[in-house]
Amino acid sequence: MGNRITIPFGSQHVALPEPIRFVFQTENEKIVDVEVDVGYVHRGIEKACMTKFKYTQVGYVVARVCGLCAISHTLGYVTAVERLMEIEVPKKALYLRLLVSELDRVHSHLLAMGHLAEVAGYENLFMHTFRDRELVMELQELVTGNRIQFDYATVGGVNRDLSLEVERELREKLKDLQERCLWLKDVFENDYTIKLRWKGIGVITPEMARELNVVGPPARASGLATDARNEFNYLPFKEVGYKLITMKDGDIYARNMVRAEETLNSLEMIFNLLDGMPEGDIKVPVKGLPEGEAFVRIEAPRGELFYYLKGSKKLILDRLRIKVPTFSNIPVMKELFIGMDYADVPATVISFDPCLSCTAR
Amino acid sequence: MKVEEIKVSLRDVRRAIKDFYNPDEWHFVTVNGTDLGGKVELKWFFAKYGEEEVFTVFTSEASYEDEIPTITYIIPSAWIAEWELADLLGLNVEGAKKGLFLDPDSPKAPLRRG
Repeated sequence: MGNRITIPFGSQHVALPEPIRFVFQTENEKIVDVEVDVGYVHRGIEKACMTKFKYTQVGYVVARVCGLCAISHTLGYVTAVERLMEIEVPKKALYLRLLVSELDRVHSHLLAMGHLAEVAGYENLFMHTFRDRELVMELQELVTGNRIQFDYATVGGVNRDLSLEVERELREKLKDLQERCLWLKDVFENDYTIKLRWKGIGVITPEMARELNVVGPPARASGLATDARNEFNYLPFKEVGYKLITMKDGDIYARNMVRAEETLNSLEMIFNLLDGMPEGDIKVPVKGLPEGEAFVRIEAPRGELFYYLKGSKKLILDRLRIKVPTFSNIPVMKELFIGMDYADVPATVISFDPCLSCTAR
Repeated sequence: MKVEEIKVSLRDVRRAIKDFYNPDEWHFVTVNGTDLGGKVELKWFFAKYGEEEVFTVFTSEASYEDEIPTITYIIPSAWIAEWELADLLGLNVEGAKKGLFLDPDSPKAPLRRG
C-alpha cells in the first residue's frame, strides 16, 4: 500500500468547465475512493417556478437553467404543458422546434468534442472544433434572434417564423458546416494520438450502463440503445431521417465518436426538414389553466431530460421537477473513478460532457 | 402515452419495485417528491427501453417524519435522487446524506410548502 493522498478536483479546475467538485483519495496514482459535491450553483429555479412565475412565464425561466441547454429546457417544459392542457401545436411549429433542437445538439456536441481535444492536449483540434461551433451559434442567432438564451419555443408553438432569407443562409452555411464536420469526424476517428489516449480508458460496460441507468451519448457508446427521440414522441424525428447511433466499446473514444456521428445525423435531419417544411401557423392561442399532472422525456444533447409538472387550475404550478442528464450520469462517473489512474480523470469527466448548471439548477 | 400507475404504501415500496424492476427492460428515470402540505407525494418513474411512451410509476405518500426506504439495493444509481429528496424536501431517506445539493447556510427544505 502506498501513501494515501487526497486530491480535490474542482470546483475550479483548468480541465473542468463546470463547478463540480470531486475529492479523490489516491494510492500510488490510483483512485481508491471519491466523494462528489454538485451544489455550488444551486439557484432554486424549481422553487421560483412554483412561487414567483405564472405557468406561461416558466418556459422563459427554465431556459435560464443553462445557456447550452436552453432550447431543450424550454422544449421540455412547453411540451409538458401542452400535453397537460391538450394543446395541438401546428406542424410547422414542431418542425421549427426540431430545427433549433438539432442545431443545439450540433453546437453542444462540437463543444464537448472540442473540450475533449483540449484535455488530450490537442489544442489545434480544439480550436478547429470551436471555430466550427461558432458557425452554429451564428445560425442559431439567425433563426431565433438570440445567441444563447433563445426563448424560441413557447406554449402553443414558437415565437418566430423562418424567413426565406434565413432559410437560404442556413442551407448555405450548413453545407459548409457539414463538410467541416466530416473532416472533424475523420480526424477524431483516425488520429493515432487520440486513439492511443482514449481507447480503453474510462470504460462503461453495457452491464454498468444498464445497472446505473446511464443516459445520452455515454449510454449509447456502451451499446445501450436508448434515446428519448426514439422513445418519446415529442417532435417528428422519424419523418426527417433520425438514426439511433450506438457503439460497443463504452470508452472515451466511443463516447466522442457517438457525438461525431450524431452531429452528422442532426445536420442531415435539418436538411430534410428544410426540404419538407410544412406551411401554416407557428403558434396557437392558449386558453385555460393547467390542471392535473404531466411528464415528458426530451433528448437533450447530453441525454434524457425529464420534466414533471403538476397544476391545480391556478396560474402558478403546484410542482415543477426538472431531472437533467448529468444528474443521471453522476452515479456512473463515481463508480468509474474507482481503480482509475488519476491522470485519466480530466478526459473521463469531460467525455461525459457534464452540465452542473443543469444539475443544481 | 401508456402509463401504469401503481399505488403502494411506503412500507411496501421497496418490495414492489424489487418485484417489478428488470434493468434490461426498464430505465429508472427518477423519484420525485411533491409537498402536499403536511405530507409528501412520492413517485418513482420507470420508462421502458426501446418502446414509445411506455411508463410505470409507483406512487406513495409519506409524512415529514416517516423514514423513506431506499431503493439503492435494487437500483444503485437511485442514491442521487434520494439524496436530493433529503436536501430539497428535508425528508428522512434511509442512508441519505444531506448537503449534496445545498450548502450548510442554504434554506432548509426549500421545496416544502409554508
